[in-house]
Amino acid sequence: MIGAMERAGIGVREEAQPVISMVDVGMTYPNGKVALADVNVLIPAGDFVFLVGPSGAGKSTFIRLLIREQLPTGGRVVVAGRDLARMRRREVPRLRRRIGIVFQDFRLLPNKTVFENVAFALEVTGSSRADIRRRVPQLLNLVGLHEHDEHLPTQLSGGEQQRVAIARALVHDPAMLIADEPTGNLDPVTSWEIIQLLIQINELGTTVLMATHNQEIVNAMRRRVLALEHGLLVRDESGAAYEREY
Amino acid sequence: MRFFRFIGFTVVRAWQGFWRNAMMSLAATATVILMLILLSGLLIVISGLDSGLHFIESKVAVTARLVGPPEHAAMTEEQLATLIDYVRGLDGVKDVTYVSPELAMQRLQQTYADRGEKLDLGGANITLYSSIEIALTDPNASQSVVDALTTGPHKPDIDRITTKQADYDELLSIIGTIRTVGIVALILVGAVVLFMIVNTIRIAVYSRANEIEIMRLVGASDSFIRWPFILEGVLCGLIGGLVTIVLVAIVWDPIQPVMVRVFQMPTSVSAQFLATLSAVVLVVGLGVGAIGSWISVRSNLSAAA
Repeated sequence: MIGAMERAGIGVREEAQPVISMVDVGMTYPNGKVALADVNVLIPAGDFVFLVGPSGAGKSTFIRLLIREQLPTGGRVVVAGRDLARMRRREVPRLRRRIGIVFQDFRLLPNKTVFENVAFALEVTGSSRADIRRRVPQLLNLVGLHEHDEHLPTQLSGGEQQRVAIARALVHDPAMLIADEPTGNLDPVTSWEIIQLLIQINELGTTVLMATHNQEIVNAMRRRVLALEHGLLVRDESGAAYEREY
Repeated sequence: MRFFRFIGFTVVRAWQGFWRNAMMSLAATATVILMLILLSGLLIVISGLDSGLHFIESKVAVTARLVGPPEHAAMTEEQLATLIDYVRGLDGVKDVTYVSPELAMQRLQQTYADRGEKLDLGGANITLYSSIEIALTDPNASQSVVDALTTGPHKPDIDRITTKQADYDELLSIIGTIRTVGIVALILVGAVVLFMIVNTIRIAVYSRANEIEIMRLVGASDSFIRWPFILEGVLCGLIGGLVTIVLVAIVWDPIQPVMVRVFQMPTSVSAQFLATLSAVVLVVGLGVGAIGSWISVRSNLSAAA
């Protein structure tokens, strides 16, 4: 499997150093709302982690801190070996190329074809045409959409649109893929197809962090679960279910 | 290579952005054209009047009519030489020219000839007054020269004095007024232009908020995000500048003889004027476009996505 993916041009990583390290991380908004408090998390490379918790528990803030959309008001966040608080503003784009991200609402550009949507992520980071022509078909192949490259997003099903978003998130061969409720808008069958794709990507060496409300998937997968409640990390368990089982 | 890809990307995106939001872009460009036409008109009029001013400065500033027949005896050459030496020694005097009655008559005939007429004296033998024409290094010295002639040792030699001071002052005041009114009008129109460009780019930024957000998430650098918008504003200025240059070039043929004849602008200056004016128009157009879009990008980009 990995050999096949290597041939497809998708990088395989073997290092086990943490991709994410959060130490005593806290986030209090100017209005006084505490979004995260004393969060300590270490995610090694190659892990597949679910981030669960009710709405307002701090999942979105957790993700925003990882992509340095916000800086924590306390503690330290290190991603791919870089302390985000010490990172200069102009270094942030380079960090974001190390982290792929997909959302519940796909966020595709409706007036661009599938090929152009994926190519856009390469184009805006200064990749050459040759790179784009080589890389985009590889990724569309990986997500099983190579025959739909001329379609517009509106001509695709929800699951297919999410696959395009995943292909786009992988264009820079990131160390980590963050999926924020990727199955939130999908039916159960399609949701499983997306999960299978994420597992496949994880097996290629990309660390996957998936925020979700989907109990069925979390319970069936039995992976590491980080549970947030009221901004506190109340559970960090491997091979766990959505809810506490003891 | 990467730099050229950045330039290519920026130019293509700016061009697409300009036409995607065509109504606003063209409205902003129209205001740029309006401002640049106003600027061109102002520069043409002020340059013309300035040339007129230089022309007056370079010409005789003070003319002193000398006493002579029939009321008085004509001045001797010696008296004349003494007078001219005296005037040359006065402060602010550049040059003194003696105009004999014969030369004065020739000039009068020439003036008639220039109008296509012939001076008809009806056979009478008329002798014109002789005079000295005094050119000044500084037009403001005119009064002191007049004072020296009317109160000094050569007072008896002088019959009447005329100066160009009044013309000079009047022209100076006209230039001052036009310049002030023009600059105020330019500032007002400039403010409208900036407002239009800032708004055009603001709309462009908000209409592409999704794209900007995706660009940020996939790791596009700030320059890839910002410069297409800045260039879009510059494009309004560039197109506005080019259209204005074409318009000015079209009306330049009827204007140029006026500059040379009416304002006495030297032909060499007039020939270069269009090139200088075009350069000014282009630089101002590009500058206003760049400043407007820069302001807009700074204030709207982080708010949009």
